[in-house]
Amino acid sequence: MAEFLMIIVSAMFINNFVVVQFLGICPFLGVSKDFKSALGMGLAVTFVMTLTCLITYPIYTFILVPLEIEFMEIIVFIFVIASIVQMIEMALKKFSPTLYNAMGIYLPLITTNCAVLGVAELVIDSEQIASLIGITASGMNMGFAVLYGLFAGLGFTLAIVVMSGLREKVARLPIAKSLKGFPIAMITACFIAMAFYVFALI
Amino acid sequence: MNNILLSNINVAKLFTVIGIVAVIAIILAALIVLVSKLCFVKEDEKVKEVSERLAGANCGGCGYAGCADYAKALAEGKADLGACGATSNEAKEEIAKILGIPFSATEQTFAVVKCAGGINAKDKFDYVGNKGCDARISYMGGNKICPEGCLGDGTCVAVCSENGIKVINGVAVVNSIMCKSCGACVVKCPKKLIELIPKKAKVFVACSTKCRGKDVMTACSVGCIGCGLCAKNCPENAITMVDNLAVIDYSKCTGCKTCVDKCPRKIIREL
Repeated sequence: MAEFLMIIVSAMFINNFVVVQFLGICPFLGVSKDFKSALGMGLAVTFVMTLTCLITYPIYTFILVPLEIEFMEIIVFIFVIASIVQMIEMALKKFSPTLYNAMGIYLPLITTNCAVLGVAELVIDSEQIASLIGITASGMNMGFAVLYGLFAGLGFTLAIVVMSGLREKVARLPIAKSLKGFPIAMITACFIAMAFYVFALI
Repeated sequence: MNNILLSNINVAKLFTVIGIVAVIAIILAALIVLVSKLCFVKEDEKVKEVSERLAGANCGGCGYAGCADYAKALAEGKADLGACGATSNEAKEEIAKILGIPFSATEQTFAVVKCAGGINAKDKFDYVGNKGCDARISYMGGNKICPEGCLGDGTCVAVCSENGIKVINGVAVVNSIMCKSCGACVVKCPKKLIELIPKKAKVFVACSTKCRGKDVMTACSVGCIGCGLCAKNCPENAITMVDNLAVIDYSKCTGCKTCVDKCPRKIIREL
């Protein structure tokens, strides 16, 4: 039970992918202009991250490691992520056109989202992840990997939603012309990152 | 010695790598093909043809998110062709032909702001807060005493794709030459003060208030007090009084401008 709590706290707060590890900054700044699209993007990333962990972890542990070709991980993972995103896009178009319209533009963006590749790389690094969630390296299994992917995605959603809320508020304020738009977004992101840094002290 | 790099290669491992990557690639490719077969969606040809003929202004005046969204709604028979003000009548005829629906040419229109208040209309209180009419209206319905008065904070100015609206003396004014009649400002104005009127119109009522004359007198020096002089004097009976406000029927109006002379508040204005 303690491990689950550690996974949640670690993936969502202490090692939040966006504002602590600085992965996936592109959608964080690009799609955070309004709340609705930010939420859509966050949920799409969460979905893809979970599926990626579900598929890449067994591929790495049961195929690449026994054959001693671990160095191929990045190429294989990119294959897998790109294909998953493609398949999800086609499935969404067929079964849920509303959801497809809502996040149609953001889904293909996830293919090149480094946060997704980042989580796939992180969960296979058993020593690092073990130290993050407080288990022994040999105790790492697929359940933990998938859970870590899910909560890392939720952490991404949390960060991007907080960011969009702040940006919506900031857009209405009287701001100096030189800071309008992107510069103030960077400053906002900086403050969010500083706020999240507090969790590192836990 | 002449080929250090090649000598280091483990040929067996090389084949394993190629084999594994090929197998994974083939499996994924097969899955993608399978999913694309299962999830094949037929694209509607009509939508493409219709969106090619729309003006492409993406102004949002029709009430849809953009021209692509409007084209889709048209093809599904949900939207009305008359809702788009930016597309020319010829293009609309072609669209009607594609969709197989009847179409009658709509009159060319342009937008007018039906308020002349601004600095002439008194304030309820001094407004200090966020910019935009939406923000203003969220505090006690705006800072004008007149419930229908223009707040003059430029929400319509920001939405106009032609830069055809300016706030002059605290009230929004549409430049009739620049107006493309898209209707985006009509949708956006929180007080619903902007109206599309026929291009051939000669006069318009620059007030929207429904208050009684006495209240108008105290609140605004250029408000319609509902005296009815214009309605009585109109030779074509084109003006009627509705809720203390003069309303012009442009199908009857000949543009004689009698009402402009008769109006004691000078709010029936020439264009």
